[in-house]
Amino acid sequence: MVSTVQNSDVKQKNEDQAVVVAVTFAAVFDAEAEDDRDVYRLGVALPLLQVLQRVNERLLEENPVEHQLFDIILITTETRQQQQSSSIITSTRHHGLEVGRFCFSSEDDFIESLAQNNVQLFLTTDGNEALRATQQGVPSALLDKNSASCPSDQLRVVLCQDATIQPDADSSGASKKSAQSFLTRLGQIRQKFGMFNSPLCFTIVTSCGGKDSCCSALKSLRSLGVSVDEAYCLGGAPRGPILSILRPHFLLSDGFSQLEG
Amino acid sequence: MSLNNSQTLTISGQDVVKNGSQHSLEDANTLLKPSTPSKKPPKPENSITIAVSSRVLFNMEKEQQIFEQQGMEEYIKYQVEHETEPFSPGPAFSFVKALEAVNTQLRDLYPESEELFDVVLITNNHAYVGLRLINTINHHQLFIERFCMTGGNSPIGYLKAYNTNLYLSSDPVKVHEALGEGIAAATMFTPDKMTEVSETQLRVAFDGDAVLFSDESEQIYKAHGLDKFFEHEKAHENKPLDHGPLKGFLEVLGKLQKKFYAKGQRMDCPIRTYLVTARSAASSGARALKTLRLWGLEIDEALFLAGAPKGPILEKIRPHIFFDDQMFHVEGAAEMGTVACHVPYGIAQRVPEKKGLKDKEVSSIK
Repeated sequence: MVSTVQNSDVKQKNEDQAVVVAVTFAAVFDAEAEDDRDVYRLGVALPLLQVLQRVNERLLEENPVEHQLFDIILITTETRQQQQSSSIITSTRHHGLEVGRFCFSSEDDFIESLAQNNVQLFLTTDGNEALRATQQGVPSALLDKNSASCPSDQLRVVLCQDATIQPDADSSGASKKSAQSFLTRLGQIRQKFGMFNSPLCFTIVTSCGGKDSCCSALKSLRSLGVSVDEAYCLGGAPRGPILSILRPHFLLSDGFSQLEG
Repeated sequence: MSLNNSQTLTISGQDVVKNGSQHSLEDANTLLKPSTPSKKPPKPENSITIAVSSRVLFNMEKEQQIFEQQGMEEYIKYQVEHETEPFSPGPAFSFVKALEAVNTQLRDLYPESEELFDVVLITNNHAYVGLRLINTINHHQLFIERFCMTGGNSPIGYLKAYNTNLYLSSDPVKVHEALGEGIAAATMFTPDKMTEVSETQLRVAFDGDAVLFSDESEQIYKAHGLDKFFEHEKAHENKPLDHGPLKGFLEVLGKLQKKFYAKGQRMDCPIRTYLVTARSAASSGARALKTLRLWGLEIDEALFLAGAPKGPILEKIRPHIFFDDQMFHVEGAAEMGTVACHVPYGIAQRVPEKKGLKDKEVSSIK
């Protein structure tokens, strides 16, 4: 049974225009460590939460009545977590996190609650959860311990293009469509800032395909309204060194299917 | 060079004639095979990575002007509007083409080997300009499958990530940064006219002090004058000089040359290297040659100019690229149509040169 609770500390976002990002409990908090006052310590998603907040601040600076903001919801994906609702709410408010809503669901129904809340991006530390969500048409990305060292003044989104992923194999038509819609919204947000000093940066990394593969990626993103800032074509070279320089907050790949940190 | 010529010259070491005739038979068979349609770029750890910026590979003068006079937005707008118009070649273009020619010959001789040149485009440009650059690469049929468009971020991290052996840019600040990180780098200038260069043989010319060698001797000259310099070099003839920023690049060229020698191609090797130095053959030259020998490096031709200008001799050699640490020589070379690059290393960058003095004795040591 899913329940949704608003966070009264945070101003609610416009439902139609906000870009809803769901982050799991295990990503937001370090679930193992709980100090005496029933407050969880923060987990790997902290820089991401900070940077999404930063983008919102910059958007409001540009336009004080901006509605196309990031709306962050915290979602539980296990029954055990679902039962800790009051600790979760307390911890969130204690740390002053800009979480708009809480979704208390279990492993059986969290996908449903993603759909109910019109989630456009689902962030988790669990690969299985990411896969399940993608298969049901919700774009997902994996967060890991590397995410903890990402910058918090610029949201770095890296799109990984790998010629080995077949466009239609892993993702259904619906998930491809929702991935495109999410990218389009991000593109719209990016457009609100100039070339320099943008709080959001789009990068393409083409791993195996050659320059023509990168070329068609640039063109198809442009048709979605996404202007790419940086492009790296690796020609088969390993991704690791480049990614450690880029320090993405999250990696999105072709169909937003199986991803790595 | 025809086979006849090579047979009459004295070669130390291998029997060229025997290998040569075997080689030409193999060669004929290889040439009849159709070339592989999709060549994969080599793995970075195996290949020799040459990183070039967009402005040295292509002529982007007009666009650069727009950027300087009208700003970034206009520059991007112009680039996107002209996306399908390829840029014309820049000063590094013929060098890159020559690298590809060497690769073709290496692939013929060693089809399984990944010890090849790998040209990477590393540019500060935003990905907006990316399509025009990719279109241009395709138009000129360049084999460049790796690039970084850093959108304004420093390229240095990427240079290191790709194990870059040589970085060429038109921006002296980036070149300086690269040298500071131990990467061989040089600022490339566009000569007003570019003399024709070979399409089959790669020719690379190096200055000696502060390029292949350290600037230790140069420091002596600057501090104590020419006589002291000659004295010092003679006295230390048998003590090798310390290495300079481009020594590693000469080394990798030598490695590839040996691969050609192993297949009998010593006389018509597709790679030829030159030392063009103001040292004099009579005195200070010996130390330079002995140092190279101690390092196990060969240089095909050593030209000791004893202070004479380098432009005319380079015009005869026709290298695809020439490296020098002193702008005076870079400019002199460029004036006569050689693609010359400045290596901003060593004492010459801090002490102003004594330019324009005719007297050989007091003219700059290089």
